[in-house]
Amino acid sequence: MATLELKDLQAEVADTGEEILRGVDLEVKNGEIHALMGPNGSGKSTTAKVIAGHPAYEVTGGSVTLTLSEADVEDIDADIDEEDLSWELLDLEPNERAALGIFLGFQYPAEIEGVTMVNFLRQALNAKLDEREELFEDEDDEEAEAEDDAGYDTSPMEGPADDGDVGVAEFQQLLKEKMELLDMDEKFAERYLNAGFSGGEKKQNEVLQAAILEPSIAVLDEIDSGLDIDRLQDVSKGINALRDEQDTGILQITHYQRILDYVEPDHVHVMIDGKIAKSGGAELAEELEDKGYDWVREEVYEAA
Amino acid sequence: MSTQLPASISEETVRTISEERDEPDWLLQTRLEALSALDELEMPSVIETPGRRWTNLEGLDYESIVDPLDQRDETERVSAEGAEVLDFETALDEHPELLEEHFGSVTDPQTNYLTALSTALFTTGTVIYVPEGVDAEDVKVRAEMNSTSLFSHTLVVAEDNASATILERISNGSAVDGDRYFSNLVEIVTGENAYVQYGSLQDLDEDVYDFTLKRGDANRYATIDWIEGNIGSRLTRSDIETELNGDSSETKIVGAFFGHDDQHFDINARVWHNGEHTTADLVTRGVLDDEARSVYEGVQDVGRDAWDTSSYQRENTLMLSDESEADASPKLIIHNHDTEASHSATVGQVDAEDLFYMTSRSIPETTARNMLVEGFFVPVLEEVEVDELREDIDELIVERLD
Ligand SMILES: Nc1ncnc2c1ncn2[C@@H]1O[C@H](COP(=O)(O)OP(=O)(O)OP(=O)(O)O)[C@@H](O)[C@H]1O
Ligand SMILES: [Mg+2]
Repeated sequence: MATLELKDLQAEVADTGEEILRGVDLEVKNGEIHALMGPNGSGKSTTAKVIAGHPAYEVTGGSVTLTLSEADVEDIDADIDEEDLSWELLDLEPNERAALGIFLGFQYPAEIEGVTMVNFLRQALNAKLDEREELFEDEDDEEAEAEDDAGYDTSPMEGPADDGDVGVAEFQQLLKEKMELLDMDEKFAERYLNAGFSGGEKKQNEVLQAAILEPSIAVLDEIDSGLDIDRLQDVSKGINALRDEQDTGILQITHYQRILDYVEPDHVHVMIDGKIAKSGGAELAEELEDKGYDWVREEVYEAA
Repeated sequence: MSTQLPASISEETVRTISEERDEPDWLLQTRLEALSALDELEMPSVIETPGRRWTNLEGLDYESIVDPLDQRDETERVSAEGAEVLDFETALDEHPELLEEHFGSVTDPQTNYLTALSTALFTTGTVIYVPEGVDAEDVKVRAEMNSTSLFSHTLVVAEDNASATILERISNGSAVDGDRYFSNLVEIVTGENAYVQYGSLQDLDEDVYDFTLKRGDANRYATIDWIEGNIGSRLTRSDIETELNGDSSETKIVGAFFGHDDQHFDINARVWHNGEHTTADLVTRGVLDDEARSVYEGVQDVGRDAWDTSSYQRENTLMLSDESEADASPKLIIHNHDTEASHSATVGQVDAEDLFYMTSRSIPETTARNMLVEGFFVPVLEEVEVDELREDIDELIVERLD
């Protein structure tokens, strides 16, 4: 049982000091699907990026904790004690958070020339496995291994020299299976990461990456924007598979009811002005679709 | 001319070099003329920005880095069927007319002080002769410099319908300490519809001053593609140039450099569109770490009679440290308006969003940065036709990243 918990999370833009998150409280457990909705500019993407550790934001208060259960660390050889199961994510680097099981699906995924999908993903998967070993390693072993901090020895053109935990052949099989599930053309594997991908293809690719990295908690930022109906169904299938097969907890940021018909949320939250203004069940999303956000705003300000 | 001729160089020196090689009189004369022109000739022009002259070629201590009578190199040459890949002396014996006709025909030995110095003093070099219709794949010239100074001259002659892909690798062999000077002139002559890709990788020790001028003359329907990789040296001044003289001729000038410590790269790519329907594509990508500096000049010169010209130029420099410096000046000179052209240059850092995207997928930041840098060079690597050259460049990039 993994739980991601945001408590009174406050954050500002590092460069300007502009306050964006003003005390966000949110709890996502694995196996659950949460929808995070709210007007443009209310801080939804910022919440997602702060969870993942984006350097553009400075956290000024609150906490982001990830609590794991024994089941989440089954792959770890080292002895696990209580301490190993509870993590303050704000103290960790983005790659460490990812290794612990946080996945961020971007609203606007980066396009990266010169790095093929297949090499990037295999590199990511192996990095995740390595980093997990390191995070859970017993204190005593740590120093000895600090020396051989895994260097980078793969080439984007020829493929990796060092095979890592997951070898090329094994990885290709895994990738193929996941791509089939999402109805993605195999040729994408050899293309440069998101370079020249259509909006929909990029979103599909985000779900594919989640499927490969098997996160405990996936934060998916507008994964449904710009998708045609067929692709929306493929993507939804991918998200449901994450939940059903890997018991991933999903925090899904969206503006539309549409995807929620396929990926049914257990909880719906409305963010307004950097705070969760209202939470409810699936019916809240329908209500929002009908009435817009203003009524939530009114309700909140009346109460205040 | 402000540069003082080193005391070690006199008419006597040049005669000695020429006699030791049993050279024909025309070559001796060419050398002597170059020597006597030194008084008049200027250094290659370099980029100047307010208050700053980027590369100080006058300031080099030629006295101590030029030792003309002690030039040593170890050069391996791999030919291809139907072509001849000869060291310069052998070529003089076997193809005297070919050399007399083409030597100095593409690059005037008296272009500047350094070309003249090179012509007067060169002792090594290669002649690559690709007869009509021959397809010479993977020609290789691997040169090792083993002395304080070395001057080299390479001539490529590709006749009508001939084609060649060439790798040239320059590095140092047995260790000679201290400042050194390497000079490398390359000329490419093409027949009609000939194709030459000349790929060069310079990986010299980091106390070698390196000067190279490579120039090609593209005939009707001919293509000359350059790959210019610069990794080593203390300072490199590199000029890669194509004259598109024939109608429908084409060229690509593709460059990659990766500087660290206090290396200095002065990189120049130039094309002259003289014929009709000609196409040029200039692509240079460079990375600078530590206190390395680079200055780039790219020139697309579209002549009066160059109807229907296509000419593109892009230069991108990526800075990995705050102490590195770069300047870029892409120039487009148009004398015929029937031209489609573009030119751009950027100097930037590794994109923070790209980095975050990768780190958010578990990849450690340094690894992510290195993958991005290596990926940055991919458009250059993809142009390289000789596998060994592509692999070598990639390997040196990865090595530098570690
Ligand atoms: N790096 C940044 N620099 C400056 N302002 C920022 C930055 N990131 C976010 N903001 C500002 O913070 C506010 C919240 O932005 P955020 O992207 O989190 O909104 P959102 O809820 O995801 O909106 P949308 O529904 O349009 O995607 C906006 O006003 C935005 O302009
Ligand atoms: Mg957003």
